[in-house]
Amino acid sequence: MRHWTEGFEDDDAEESLVRPYTITGGRTAPERDDLALITLVTTVSGSLAETGRGRLRMQPEHRAVFDLCKRPQAVAEIAAALNLPVSVTKILVGDLVESGHVRARPPLAFARAGGLPDMAILEAVRDGLREL
Amino acid sequence: MGYANSDRGAAAPMAVKILIAGGFGVGKTTLVGAVSEVPPLRTEEYLTHASVGVDDLEGVSGKATTTVALDFGRITINKRLVLYLFGTPGQERFWFMWNDLVNGALGAVVLVDTRRLEVSFASIDFFESRGIPFVVGVNCFHGVRDRTQEEVRKALDLDPQVPLVLCDARDRAAGRDVLLALVDHLMAARSGTTPRPAV
Repeated sequence: MRHWTEGFEDDDAEESLVRPYTITGGRTAPERDDLALITLVTTVSGSLAETGRGRLRMQPEHRAVFDLCKRPQAVAEIAAALNLPVSVTKILVGDLVESGHVRARPPLAFARAGGLPDMAILEAVRDGLREL
Repeated sequence: MGYANSDRGAAAPMAVKILIAGGFGVGKTTLVGAVSEVPPLRTEEYLTHASVGVDDLEGVSGKATTTVALDFGRITINKRLVLYLFGTPGQERFWFMWNDLVNGALGAVVLVDTRRLEVSFASIDFFESRGIPFVVGVNCFHGVRDRTQEEVRKALDLDPQVPLVLCDARDRAAGRDVLLALVDHLMAARSGTTPRPAV
């Protein structure tokens, strides 16, 4: 007979991702409001991945984000890779920022400020597109 | 080179974004896929309060949540800068719940299909009303050019300063040229050679 907790300790990411808000401990909104779709998340090398206070909160999903972001990834890319809603992903990333495992770099807010982007950025984008 | 805030997290690149908008079926994801360095990715968001303040949701009443999907791609510009392309959800009425979409956006490409111009009206209204710079890409499906640029402009009631370019969303070079038209438009606005987009 199956006990209701059976499977809860399953480390298989595919299995556990069907319960997005269980992963977040029931939280449905990130504690930080500064994470955007294209906030770039980068793993902090040499951080407390395996030991220390971060260890206790290192669920499989946190670990997946941690591993994924060894190459910088946008929040949206993390969400797509882990097949999680963006809001859930933001909660996980927020946890990892808090615990010092990852660093988050927000986008510049041109549109929000009604301003135009820096000319140096536009030139870089133009030159990059011409390479395509 | 003056990327703002480059002292913080100097090793990490910075991200910018261009929105690819337009009505359902105009080729947004096709365009993203044509120019992206990775196959288009998809992410979803649950909009749990979709009924708040919206009076035309009879079709979805009773639903606790609505799922809105975003398709996006990535172009690594250089070591310090990554450009993301976001195909926006077809139902613009949900956009107000997703302010994150315009956060960090350089501007937008509104794709139109000349056979169904009306499906892209809402996107044009959205960017015009928020003062977000955009260009219009006329997606010539299968080489069909059944209307002149002037006819399309007139039908869209487009501001004369908004660039309009013909393209084939399936073609990498054509997609790149639409994006370049937006960047040129932004640079012109920046240097003051054209009036700033209406706010």
